Amino acid sequence: MKPDLGSVMAIRLYKEPLLESPILIASWPGIANIGIIVVDTLKRMLEAEEFGEIEPWDFFYPKQVLIRKGILERVEFPSSKFYFKRMAGKDVMLFIGQEQPTEEGGIYAQGTEAYGMANLVMDVAQRFGCRRLYTSGAAVALTHHSMKPRVWAVPNHGDLIHEVREYENTVLMSDIEGRAGHGNITGLNGLLLGVARKRGLEAVCLMGEIPVYLQGLPLSYPRASKAVLEVISHRLGVEIDLSELDELDRKVEKRIEEFYQQIPLEIRGQLDRLRHVAYAQPTEPGPITEEEGKKIMEDVERFFKKRGEGG
Amino acid sequence: MRQGGPVTLYREPGLSRSCLVLGWREDLGGLGLRTTNYLIRKLDAKEFAEIEPDDFFALGGVAVEDNIAQFPDSKFYVCPEHELVVLQSSSPAAEWHRFLDSVLDVAVHHCGTRELYMLGAMVSLDAHTAPRQLLSVANLAEMKESLSQYDLARDMDYQTAPGQRPTLNSFLLWVAKERHIPGVSLWVPIPFYVAAMGDAGAQKRVLSFLNERLDLEINFSDLDRQIRQQNEQLAGARSRYPQVDDYIGRLENNLTLSDEENGELLKKIEEFLGEEG
Repeated sequence: MKPDLGSVMAIRLYKEPLLESPILIASWPGIANIGIIVVDTLKRMLEAEEFGEIEPWDFFYPKQVLIRKGILERVEFPSSKFYFKRMAGKDVMLFIGQEQPTEEGGIYAQGTEAYGMANLVMDVAQRFGCRRLYTSGAAVALTHHSMKPRVWAVPNHGDLIHEVREYENTVLMSDIEGRAGHGNITGLNGLLLGVARKRGLEAVCLMGEIPVYLQGLPLSYPRASKAVLEVISHRLGVEIDLSELDELDRKVEKRIEEFYQQIPLEIRGQLDRLRHVAYAQPTEPGPITEEEGKKIMEDVERFFKKRGEGG
Repeated sequence: MRQGGPVTLYREPGLSRSCLVLGWREDLGGLGLRTTNYLIRKLDAKEFAEIEPDDFFALGGVAVEDNIAQFPDSKFYVCPEHELVVLQSSSPAAEWHRFLDSVLDVAVHHCGTRELYMLGAMVSLDAHTAPRQLLSVANLAEMKESLSQYDLARDMDYQTAPGQRPTLNSFLLWVAKERHIPGVSLWVPIPFYVAAMGDAGAQKRVLSFLNERLDLEINFSDLDRQIRQQNEQLAGARSRYPQVDDYIGRLENNLTLSDEENGELLKKIEEFLGEEG
């Protein structure tokens, strides 16, 4: 049943594009903005057209005011916008949320507002006959920045497992050492999968790997976004020019290397071992044991804590 | 339609004197989930209402289990021919009392519910070859009395141990008692080493009771087949691992295993099931 958006005041549609069973790719900010960069790149490369938004006042505080000569001229809120692109049987809807609605000032969405936001996105998706939904985010992994990031895929239904196994450079949670098929996806990039499951719609979250020691830096990680985009473009069956991500990656790489050289030698020595990790199957002993992996994580956390205390 | 409260009612179920059977998703050995799934499938029960999750779960993302994103839900199903309501629900993480009140509001105001049946499983140190028991706790004396004709234990003594807290079933029994709704929680002990595979024997035990009590006319031939398969699997594990045979043999003779031996038995059975696929 298509939701009657006429009664949903929080959704504003500027036009009603005719779309044929589109897929929706949605993202909100998270670690290194991996997901947001994915959807934003798609939006630009596909030249997708904006067609609606979720009104912000029930979810967000204003983020900026503009006052000129003593007069308040404008108040800006974080945006939550929908875009579309018609592509002959491969129609796409995109959603970009500039912020996640939070209840206690955290980064990730939680509670009634988060659930409300996820439901509004789903209302629009179903209104346009959406058949499949993807979200995207980051997977914090014991990997090195010199390695090509893999994509962790989490579907919301068992029937999708077989399909997801066919994706290139993609792993399921059970393929990752120490996870045994379990984990969590924080915030709306995860919650939307749950709400889609509740409504009987197929959804997959695609998460690009970011090395554990980079997760706290105020940097993007374009190569992880690129890894996710490669999977999505393959699924869409369209060629997407990703050269601008390569360019961005070269700039970020320089800053990552600068940061890397600041890490104390004994920790860096351990991290260097990750350069040589050929991804192991869960049943095979990896070149780095689980114990060693834990120690690396602890050392990195200690380093960041110390760094934070030292200003 | 959701009308202010946490309940969304899709349609009136058209019941006047129903019984409600409730199973929790997170029950030991998946007993609540498997049993309610079985009832829904066999009786062709249809969903008619649900409790929305946002007031009762953190919803800060999703948990991933066995590679799949999960999401909490609490759904009511109806089988009008048998005046039966089945509630299959995730255990709420917060506001238990309001959640349970919402369950009873649906039961009373939309289903004319006259009795509640809550399903639960507990760990047993018995061998799987022993018959499954069924224990009951009623919230009113007349409810307990009305169960006297069935093969179930009705005189349980129990007090919550320090540091633990009562189960949702006990809490719901009490909330129902406050509203003068007769209810009973049914407990099936499941041998600890078969919990992971889902104990078809435990399912049959509780379903047989409900079948008789609620006159559901269910044919259990499919479940009997599952029980046979489960027993064959366990017999296979016993013949492959002499140690497993020894441990189960000792349980059959009412001997107690050490914690280490319990762990070993559990591990070997899991290994065996993993190899069997």
